[in-house]
Amino acid sequence: MGFEKFGRFGYVSQTKINPLLSYLEKGQIAATRCKKCGRTYFPPRAECLDDRQSAIEWVVLDGKGSLITFTKVFFAPPAFQPETPYLLGLAELSNGFRVFAPVSPSVDEKQLKPGKELNLKVARGSRDNLFYWLE
Amino acid sequence: MGRVGIVGVGHSKFGKRNDASLRELAFEAYGAALDDADMDSSNIDSSVICSATHYDKQRSPAGVVAEYLGLNPQPTFNVEAACASSAVGLRTAWALVSSRLHDVMTVVGVQKMTELSSEEIQELMGRAGDVMWESPFGTTMPAYYAMYATAHMARFGTTEEQMALVPVKNRKYGSKNPNAMFQKPITAEEVLKSRPVASPLKLFDCCANADGAACLIIANAEKARKLTDRPVWVAGLGLASSPMSLAGRKGPMTSFEVTKNAAMSAYQMARVSPNDIDVAEVHDSFSITEILNYEDLRFAKPGGGTRLLEKGETELGGKIPVNIDGGLISKGHPVGATGASQLFALTKQLRGEAGSTQVDGAKIGLAQNIGGIGMYSAVTILKA
Repeated sequence: MGFEKFGRFGYVSQTKINPLLSYLEKGQIAATRCKKCGRTYFPPRAECLDDRQSAIEWVVLDGKGSLITFTKVFFAPPAFQPETPYLLGLAELSNGFRVFAPVSPSVDEKQLKPGKELNLKVARGSRDNLFYWLE
Repeated sequence: MGRVGIVGVGHSKFGKRNDASLRELAFEAYGAALDDADMDSSNIDSSVICSATHYDKQRSPAGVVAEYLGLNPQPTFNVEAACASSAVGLRTAWALVSSRLHDVMTVVGVQKMTELSSEEIQELMGRAGDVMWESPFGTTMPAYYAMYATAHMARFGTTEEQMALVPVKNRKYGSKNPNAMFQKPITAEEVLKSRPVASPLKLFDCCANADGAACLIIANAEKARKLTDRPVWVAGLGLASSPMSLAGRKGPMTSFEVTKNAAMSAYQMARVSPNDIDVAEVHDSFSITEILNYEDLRFAKPGGGTRLLEKGETELGGKIPVNIDGGLISKGHPVGATGASQLFALTKQLRGEAGSTQVDGAKIGLAQNIGGIGMYSAVTILKA
């Protein structure tokens, strides 16, 4: 199985950043970093924008974050209809990266508002799919 | 660089057009534009066909549309920028006419959406975001705009009741537009009670998928003056891009940087300021979008968009009437045709031909057209 294992329902199967899946397997969320200039990317990318010839390495993120905004989706694409309604969020992680991710159903919806502290954690779906969400 | 004028405009009826195919819709708008300009196809040097082609059964639709319009062997091609396709089509055609490669061109925005099953539409909608990092979580078009609404509500105290003023206003004017999909006014209560789509957005906060076409015929200044005694001039063209991923964007998510950037270019090129605009068409794909657009176009200060609505400043008779053709919320949103539809409405206003919704003495009009989930935004300024 390729990268379509990422997410609640993945669309893209072929990519250079497949190693992300091995980190998720271990319960870790990882970014990529340019070995030359140190610029770090999340979501991970395979090439540095500034040093296109240099190699990248993987670094594990702590996942601490704060919610910027969210929505509750009632009308969903076919693959997601069994889980409807569900929450989607945008958060800023402690190192300044932004992440788009589901908000875990364990979060009390009434407490949810921009600015709320949430952690990005690895989650596993029923089809052995892997992703992260905010909890 | 010479001036470029709009010499003819045409518009099909928008809506669930199960009586017409893509090419036939295109012909309705193109034929109307030829009639409007009182010319025939022999005057047209080249055509630009604007549609979001993933909705079409026909692959590479410019081929069959140009054939059906009788525009062979002149050059033709497709321009796609999601919901902003025909605004970008005008930009493209403007450059070809300004460069003197062509003298007279037609820009045809067309879309056939209701032929797809709701399953197909929903599947397409699911891939409107970044398919690698965001769509795998179940994103939808309304969900993205809803996230801007949540942020705007938290930062500025905007309420769902204030957002409902947008569909109430636009549907009121839609009832005067015979081309609109919905021609019945709506109440705030109906908006607030409609079923949730992506909180805080409800069904009547959202525009609808539709079939339809709109067409512009443009010409260089010399030809424009020969072809018509009432050309409307393309005075400013702004286009900008933004990261497609929401996570790639900066700021508090209460405005679209992409629109601010496009507006700056368009105001500069046209040498006008927001105060000079007599009438505007903005992208009301959702109620919240129209409010953000007021602020991003500098019709209002950040957070002041709702006040503009409450004071009736964007109504006919207000300081700056907006979407008084009904907007996307009344007309429906045949993706590729929407940009040209906005420019059709402005052209009519600037010629003084807008009938019961005419803005007295309108000389300068602005159209703003967002592409997709905000990765493109086009701002076009026209002058009488």
